[in-house]
Amino acid sequence: MMEKHIWILGDSPLVEEYTALFVQHEFETRVRINPEGAVSRVPLGARQFVESEQITSAVLELTALSQETKRKNLVLLDDIVPFHIPILSASVTATVAEQASWLKYPSRLIGIGAFPTLLDSGTIELVQSPTTGNPARVAAEQLVAMLEMHVALVEDSVGLVMPRILCSLINEACFALAEQLAEPEDIDTAMKLGTNYPCGPFEWAERIGAKHVLAVMKALHRFYEEDRYRSAPLLQMAALRNMSLRKMNG
Amino acid sequence: MIKSIGIVGAGTMGSGIAEVAALAGIATVLTDTSEPTLTAARERIAQSIKRAVGKKRVSASEAEEANARITLTPSLADLTACDLVVEAIIEDEQVKRDLFRQLDRMLAPHAILGSNTSSLSITALASATQRPDKVVGIHFFNPVPLMKLVEVVQGRHTSNDTALEAFELAQRLGKTAVLCKDTPGFIVNRIARPFYGEALRLLGEGVASAEQIDYIVKTEGGFKMGPFELMDLIGIDVNYAVTKSVYEQFAHEPRFRPHAIQKQMVDAGTLGRKAGRGFFDYAGAGPNPPKAQS
Ligand SMILES: NC(=O)c1ccc[n+]([C@@H]2O[C@H](COP(=O)([O-])OP(=O)(O)OC[C@H]3O[C@@H](n4cnc5c(N)ncnc54)[C@H](O)[C@@H]3O)[C@@H](O)[C@H]2O)c1
Repeated sequence: MMEKHIWILGDSPLVEEYTALFVQHEFETRVRINPEGAVSRVPLGARQFVESEQITSAVLELTALSQETKRKNLVLLDDIVPFHIPILSASVTATVAEQASWLKYPSRLIGIGAFPTLLDSGTIELVQSPTTGNPARVAAEQLVAMLEMHVALVEDSVGLVMPRILCSLINEACFALAEQLAEPEDIDTAMKLGTNYPCGPFEWAERIGAKHVLAVMKALHRFYEEDRYRSAPLLQMAALRNMSLRKMNG
Repeated sequence: MIKSIGIVGAGTMGSGIAEVAALAGIATVLTDTSEPTLTAARERIAQSIKRAVGKKRVSASEAEEANARITLTPSLADLTACDLVVEAIIEDEQVKRDLFRQLDRMLAPHAILGSNTSSLSITALASATQRPDKVVGIHFFNPVPLMKLVEVVQGRHTSNDTALEAFELAQRLGKTAVLCKDTPGFIVNRIARPFYGEALRLLGEGVASAEQIDYIVKTEGGFKMGPFELMDLIGIDVNYAVTKSVYEQFAHEPRFRPHAIQKQMVDAGTLGRKAGRGFFDYAGAGPNPPKAQS
């Protein structure tokens, strides 16, 4: 069994969500929130991440918004963490293959479908790229099991399964809202009652944050180079202004 | 205030609308060009109301009164006195336009013309009449007695009064009404497109199997059904037709582009549950849990 030590780096609110989960499962948890995303202190029950202390069983890199910061974090970790320690990297906005190309020890890198709000559920998506070694996959699976969650192993692709579907729905709802198809509350109601969705697109967007939804759409657009993934102007405006999508129309 | 409703088309949707209208205490006239369909509709409505009595949602006397409130007739002329007529006939613009033209000549000037269309433009249907301000989309969901939503669709010329009357009527029928503009797919059939479209692309690119995608969508996203199970239930032909229609009406907007997998499944006749096989295999085994195709 893996020792219960974990390092977690990245943006809010993912770092808080994952930290809470690891602390709850009695992991010795060390944390660092990216400087540009520092809206909160070190989450409860965790300690500050110290670069000189190199004892951990696994590392979680959860940066989703800035590729540059993600790269910096991964390169740093690759340098200071012994090469046999697996690095689980949030891979919703960049493929594992791309991230692996930044590292000296790429086989320890495995993707994780870390995305705001999706941790409330019982399943975590893991991404094994051709670059990912089996030991890293086995360790990641063990880690998810220790959190009493299920693994869904998917192939390397931007957006993975749930974030890609969810963000595309929200993006479409943003186009519709800009066209004043209906009131945002009515769009939410219609999707819940007309097709049994657990939440309406704007309710989801509220919980996820427009910035994170936009980051996924931008990543899909960059990866596929297709118009299909163009982000709705309304979504871009909401993310820029840090505003609720529901307040963006009219 | 709407006192009597006429419904044209006694199929799946029309008979459901007649049932909820009669249960709400409104005099209802249901017509269809096919006599056997009318007979079947009478039976289906009676059975459905009986089930509601069994579940204690309706009392025995209410059930009896509701059944008595429905007049079934093969003659369109029997709808002349209705305050509102909803059409739920075949999804064909020309046939619906012809019907609206006929109804427009027959009905009292105050009467409202509603369409249950899922994909046609209300504005286009309204242009067949001399009363485009009184034409409105009243889009129910299947099965009508169970699904709470009604989209009230305001065409280019639909007056606010007409939209409001349709809205209030939906509420009287015990539904939650939402008002929307006349654009392809209205709200639900449009915003749900990526749910299927992205799932199909994920499958096509080999990111995950249909079974895995459904599992993830249900256990990670909290959806009651995964996109592939749901397409199998709706019918892959029906789902493909809706996608194509939305795509074409949006001038080939790439977000709505249909997927080749769907077309191939339609060509192969693997249409979902009704065919015994779709993305999953339903032959022999019970409906749950579906087995993935290899
Ligand atoms: N089935 C659904 O899930 C669903 C959901 C929402 C809306 N709709 C829409 O509702 C409408 C009806 O769909 P349905 O599934 O009930 O179809 P259906 O085939 O079950 O019923 C249509 C009925 O209309 C009758 N009909 C055809 N032309 C007619 C005419 N000129 N005059 C009188 N009767 C005529 C047919 O005999 C048939 O009984 C369509 O516009 C469809 O798009 C369907």
